[in-house]
Amino acid sequence: MPWISEDRRHTRVAEGQPLLTESLKAVLRDKYFPRYPSKRAVLLPALHLLQHEYNWLPTQAVQEIAEFLEIAPAEALDTASFYEEYWLKPKGKYLLQVCRSLTCELCQSEQLRDHLSQKLNVDPGETTADKRFTLVELECLGACGTAPVVMVNEVLHENVTTDRLDQIIAALPEDPHDMKDPGMTWDNDGH
Amino acid sequence: MAFTEPVLTKRIPLDASQRKLIGYDDYVATGGYKSLKQALEMPPADIIKTVTDSGLRGRGGAGFSAGQKWSFIPKEKKGPHYLCVNADESEPGTFKDRYLIDHDPHLLLEGIAIACLATQCDIAYIFIRGEYHYSAKVLEHALKEAYAHGIFGGDGVLGSGKKVECYVHRGAGAYICGEETGLLEALEGKRGWPRNKPPFPAIAGAFARPTVINNVETLMCVPHILERGPAWFKTMGTPSSPGPKLFGMSGHVNNPGVYEDELGITLDYAINKLAGGMKGGAYKASVCGGISMGILGTNQLDIKLDFDDVRFRGGCLGLGTAGMIVMNEHTDMVKALRNCVRFYAHESCGQCTPCREGSNWMRKILDRILDGDGKAADLQMLMELEKTMGIMPGTTICGLADGTAWATRTFINKFYDEFALRCPEAPTKTIPLKVSSGRLNVLTPMGSNTR
Ligand SMILES: Cc1cc2nc3c(=O)[nH]c(=O)nc-3n(C[C@H](O)[C@H](O)[C@H](O)COP(=O)(O)O)c2cc1C
Ligand code: SF4
Ligand code: FES
Repeated sequence: MPWISEDRRHTRVAEGQPLLTESLKAVLRDKYFPRYPSKRAVLLPALHLLQHEYNWLPTQAVQEIAEFLEIAPAEALDTASFYEEYWLKPKGKYLLQVCRSLTCELCQSEQLRDHLSQKLNVDPGETTADKRFTLVELECLGACGTAPVVMVNEVLHENVTTDRLDQIIAALPEDPHDMKDPGMTWDNDGH
Repeated sequence: MAFTEPVLTKRIPLDASQRKLIGYDDYVATGGYKSLKQALEMPPADIIKTVTDSGLRGRGGAGFSAGQKWSFIPKEKKGPHYLCVNADESEPGTFKDRYLIDHDPHLLLEGIAIACLATQCDIAYIFIRGEYHYSAKVLEHALKEAYAHGIFGGDGVLGSGKKVECYVHRGAGAYICGEETGLLEALEGKRGWPRNKPPFPAIAGAFARPTVINNVETLMCVPHILERGPAWFKTMGTPSSPGPKLFGMSGHVNNPGVYEDELGITLDYAINKLAGGMKGGAYKASVCGGISMGILGTNQLDIKLDFDDVRFRGGCLGLGTAGMIVMNEHTDMVKALRNCVRFYAHESCGQCTPCREGSNWMRKILDRILDGDGKAADLQMLMELEKTMGIMPGTTICGLADGTAWATRTFINKFYDEFALRCPEAPTKTIPLKVSSGRLNVLTPMGSNTR
């Protein structure tokens, strides 16, 4: 939450090529602008879009979004820093998210966290040296009926054990964009 | 009162291996979108009256009459009206909305379309929590089908000229956006800080226009009510809490999962008949509807799970989302409470001092008790803090702080000895403190000040 002060040493200010490219602008303009009566309302979708593209949100991206939506950069940053899902500092290719709320705790989620922590040699919140994994704990993922659960990037894994966790990690493709949600049985347009 | 057949889950097989996503064709083949056609023939006031007569109460936590909420929307239109569908579902123990969306998304879309006709809403935003990636894709897919079949957009709902647009708006990982005005702020592209009320959303909600905010399950009841009538709806549940309800059973039970039954079943029935009984030991306690509602104790298996009995006899804040987290005899209640309080300390949006600071103090105190350094004064302080925060003592903007207070209050009241044992010199009592429900009568629980 925003009043917990954050380490901003990784902040990078504008440099080089624009991150909000013409094609990304077109997605925002064509798909999202017609949906809302104000441009600012496109902020959350825009942040999601850029994070999906770059894996995290450099300050430059937030600035460019602000400019495109005609709001102050501070307003965009104010919003972006409030939400846990937006990464204002780099994270690993794979985000390993272990649920720590009540049901999962009752179903031994701490074992999963400790297992990952040891296996990858990182504490929750940290990224492995090879930048492949970031381990985090987060609150209830809305899957308590199949606790404990772990979400890897966008894919939820239910009834997880330490053995299954090892298998899940071993099966991850080199490039996260190649990862498929096994539940999806239809084509998705990507955004 | 009897529950004879599944209603909201009628298209979802009980056998998990048989379940699949119900697409537009399957939905229509099983009677889907019939109620929407019916709604198009009805004046908006009649739709609202039908829903009011059914006694449908909100399934998002507050239990406020859905028909009444709709009736607060101005009849005279001076600009756009909005519907916000609350699919933020972040309350620990709650996973019913995801279950419904993942299997039968068109039932939600039909409910949305009917609600928009009733309240003259032009745009519906389905606000879904960011972590529900799969569910958001399911909704996008179902919406594409619905648009292609003329439910939304184009020449109006099924060519009627009453145009409704419907979009998915993804949250980004903040429990507080489930609070309806926090949701509105997030929709508008701001941090999810709940708003002071008044003005109530029905008058000035999203983009300062009249706005209805309803939970997923609430809206999913609506097509069934139109199809089969308010009298049928009232054959299920109790007189003050009619209808079917999804119960999310999790924790130490043999068959955790989402079960549909009627409101007013006992906790004993929910655990032993629905969820297959206790796992790993005898029953000890159960969170009664998301952790914010508090906890039902060992001798409370006979409590009826409806909007009233849980409050008045059960001594909790309410039924909430009916997400039960069941705990067996080996559960450490101090640790369980620490987990809840850490959740609030983490999710407090930080606007109100009692909530922001109080929840963090509580977390630190509980950490200390768990580390073995508990003192009598710690327990005292916990109980004092719990009384100072929330809408009900009137110190905060939203109900998150009431959740913190009620979780803490009910855990300590009902399992006092366990806490006292860890805080040497705290006076021990073998009879649990009586839970006061008096304060409840002054103001209704969280979120119900929804006008
Ligand atoms: C802190 C807090 C979190 C909430 N989270 C949710 C939620 O995730 N989903 C939901 O439907 N309602 C949630 N509510 C209740 C909403 O504010 C609101 O009452 C509800 O969406 C209204 O819909 P209903 O009348 O159909 O129940 C929350 C309330 C509070 C105070
Ligand atoms: S009660 Fe807590 S969560 Fe609600 S507005 Fe105040 S600080 Fe934010
Ligand atoms: S507590 Fe882990 S998914 Fe709900």
